[in-house]
Amino acid sequence: MSSLLLNPHKALFTASSSFPLRSDVNAQILVASRRAATRIVDCRPRASRDSFEAEALPETNAKKKNANRKIILFGSSPPPLSEERSGAAGNGRGKPGREASSWGFFQKSLKRALAVLSNLPLAIAEMFTIAALMALGTVIDQGEAPDYYFQKYPEENPMFGFFTWRWVLNLGFDHMFTSPVFLGLLILLACSLMACTYTTQIPLVKVARRWSFKHSAEAIRRQDFADSLPKASVKDLGIILMGAGYEVFLKGPSLYAFKGMAGRFAPIGVHISMLLIMVGGTLSAAGSFHGSVTVPQGLNFVVGDTMNPNGFLSFPTQSFNTEVHVNRFYMDYYDSGEVSQFYSDLSLFSLDGKELTRKTIRVNDPLRFRGITIYQTDWGFSALQITKNGEGPFNLAMAPLQMNGEKKLFGTFLPTGDADSPNVKGISMLARDLQSIVLYDQEGKFAGVRRPSSKLPIDIDGTRIVIEDAIGSTGLDLKTDPGVPIVYAGFGALMLTTCISYFSHSQIWALQDGTTVVIGGKTNRAKLEFRDEVNGLLDEVPELVTIDQNLNG
Amino acid sequence: MIFTILEHILTHISFSIISIVIMIYLMTFFVHESVGLPDSSEKGMIATFLSITGLLVSRWISSGHFPLSNLYESLIFLSCSLSIIHTIYKMGNHKNYLNTITASSTIFTQGFATSGLLTEMHQSVILVPALQSQWLMMHVSMMLLSYAALLCGSLFSVALLVITFRKNINIFCNGKVKNFLIKKFIFGKINYWNEKRSAYKNTSFLSFRNYYKYQLTQRLDYLSYRVISLGFTFLTIGILCGAVWANEAWGSYWSWDPKETWAFITWIIFAIYLHTRTSTNQSLQSTNSALVASMGFLIIWICYFGINLLGIGLHSYGSFTLTSKILNN
Repeated sequence: MSSLLLNPHKALFTASSSFPLRSDVNAQILVASRRAATRIVDCRPRASRDSFEAEALPETNAKKKNANRKIILFGSSPPPLSEERSGAAGNGRGKPGREASSWGFFQKSLKRALAVLSNLPLAIAEMFTIAALMALGTVIDQGEAPDYYFQKYPEENPMFGFFTWRWVLNLGFDHMFTSPVFLGLLILLACSLMACTYTTQIPLVKVARRWSFKHSAEAIRRQDFADSLPKASVKDLGIILMGAGYEVFLKGPSLYAFKGMAGRFAPIGVHISMLLIMVGGTLSAAGSFHGSVTVPQGLNFVVGDTMNPNGFLSFPTQSFNTEVHVNRFYMDYYDSGEVSQFYSDLSLFSLDGKELTRKTIRVNDPLRFRGITIYQTDWGFSALQITKNGEGPFNLAMAPLQMNGEKKLFGTFLPTGDADSPNVKGISMLARDLQSIVLYDQEGKFAGVRRPSSKLPIDIDGTRIVIEDAIGSTGLDLKTDPGVPIVYAGFGALMLTTCISYFSHSQIWALQDGTTVVIGGKTNRAKLEFRDEVNGLLDEVPELVTIDQNLNG
Repeated sequence: MIFTILEHILTHISFSIISIVIMIYLMTFFVHESVGLPDSSEKGMIATFLSITGLLVSRWISSGHFPLSNLYESLIFLSCSLSIIHTIYKMGNHKNYLNTITASSTIFTQGFATSGLLTEMHQSVILVPALQSQWLMMHVSMMLLSYAALLCGSLFSVALLVITFRKNINIFCNGKVKNFLIKKFIFGKINYWNEKRSAYKNTSFLSFRNYYKYQLTQRLDYLSYRVISLGFTFLTIGILCGAVWANEAWGSYWSWDPKETWAFITWIIFAIYLHTRTSTNQSLQSTNSALVASMGFLIIWICYFGINLLGIGLHSYGSFTLTSKILNN
């Protein structure tokens, strides 16, 4: 009986020494591998021991006689092995057969179309065209009147020698993202996605799911990565691969291991979620309502009055009979005087006057109620409340004077003297926001600045004016969009599947050839990392040394 | 006040260290007697990363919001992301040449950010109402991370194209540099490749020099593929977060705004890149995909800079006054 020599720092090897280091058979001794294998055993000590115990029996009892018996080192419910098609794979074969019969008609009629659509160069060309059209859509100004294009792309002086307004208007490039050309391409791309998923991706996964052992060293050496380990055991390799997260299957002298099957499935998920987003987007385009309204503080409106249908699937719902009351509109300012946030305090009433809900909305925090979403998008200056010489208060309507850019300017005019005379004179009041009002006298000279909150009177040409209040109006956008849940589901799925797609599906085959183990492997994505990883793992495989060699050493 | 000084100091530290790192790379490239130099350049990259991160954190504290509200801050964040990517791939402990790309890209972005062109933007600005959201952090940081990763990956592809299409690669003949290249890039793989070659006796035999070239291009190819895949993941997350945010703020998850559209174009181009990888012809595959990625490189810059330069659309917050400055001069 030979003794077991173990590297002292491999404590875990000793701990779980129900290992199949059955030195009685081969009189072999486990010497040290170059690197400690402790980590590996540490990872899944129980699993590896269990499986090894299960496996050890046939190994010791009757080695070659039980060669037919399959030994699986890991995993509880194995899919059919490719070698045992006749027996275990009975159900595996039945399924595709049934599929074939039910899909037979479709396959026949659509086979040609599928073959064309799933063509990769075609799909790439579609994507390129879509990208180019989108780029064109940002270059050509969208949504202008035809006259604009007549001037910008004249026929006398065509851009690049051929590009005139005829191109723009005939192909609908003035509204690129709703033009038939663009939408048609998107539909074509969606068809390609489906075709590719059906004809290419799913069969690929079916192949990858099959556990296939390779029985010839040549076949293994033909893989992207190939190596051979002299004086090694395929079972040691099995444990080490298991420790590295591989699912390992062992049958006689052959080993098959794989990792990251999800990486194979994920691209299908990416395609499906893209389709989901497209479906949701279509539903949004066809079935949504949109409305926008500017309401002075204190007034109300009915939701249904503001909403315009977007497409043929837009049907109004019961919740459109809701009345929205703007309780208050106000802004927050930074110390520098710039607006930091807009707030609208809204109450929703049913038509019989019952308050349904109340919320203060702001930008980035909309109100959602029974499918309707109310966004804070804009603001205006509705009216200025003043008292003139102690009379009043009067409401002066403010008119927007300058709307270009972010800066707004509102103004109003308070006539002094005879308001009916042809050249009426009066006091002008201007405001950029609700905070401060600039007043000018009859000659147009600057008179002073007043804050509505201060109630400080100002005397201009003998008129005493007190600014009581500045009444703002809130700009609200209203929307119903039945596509959002579908699109969001697509978003979530797309994020998840894209992340999973980063991982690669790696497969390793090994064959015990005498005392040498031939190893081959391939992976679909991380080829460099895979090579490094497998090289590292192979370094950990313990070397088997016969007893006399050990004595010599 | 203290934050301004701190910012100043950190900017200068990061810039000096990154310059030193670049110097070290050049020295190791030309002199090749590198004892502890690569190690010190690694430490230099980490120091750069820390000081840039410190810069961002100090801006965050001083302004009270996530420091990604204008172009200057986003450029700083871009150089920070480049160092993050550098560190990610360094942690994997792979021998690669990512550092040559990341370090030089970092010095460019950092140099541009701190150059005189953008001095007016060094002041941190207030956030307009639409930007006041938690999504700002998620969306913008993801987008910039993806830009950084995609830029790195496409630069690898550009390098691959240059190597593939240059007729006489004299760096492989030049004594010292050749030694360096062999040592740095290919050593340790030779045995494996020889073995593999012997396995294929009947495949066409590559000449010795072309063989190194082949290996180098292949490594570059794999590396750019990995980095672009990572960047693509970030880009997807970034765009989708932006869409969800837009649905919160503007009431529409997609509004064909120029920046959005260009981000989508970038996404499509890199999706094409990933699809060209699935083709079976190995050599054609790497060249084709490298061409697509180089195109993507230009498109990222249009997306990141071009749209801001024009200052159009809803994403014009970060637009800067460079245009008016150029016109005035």
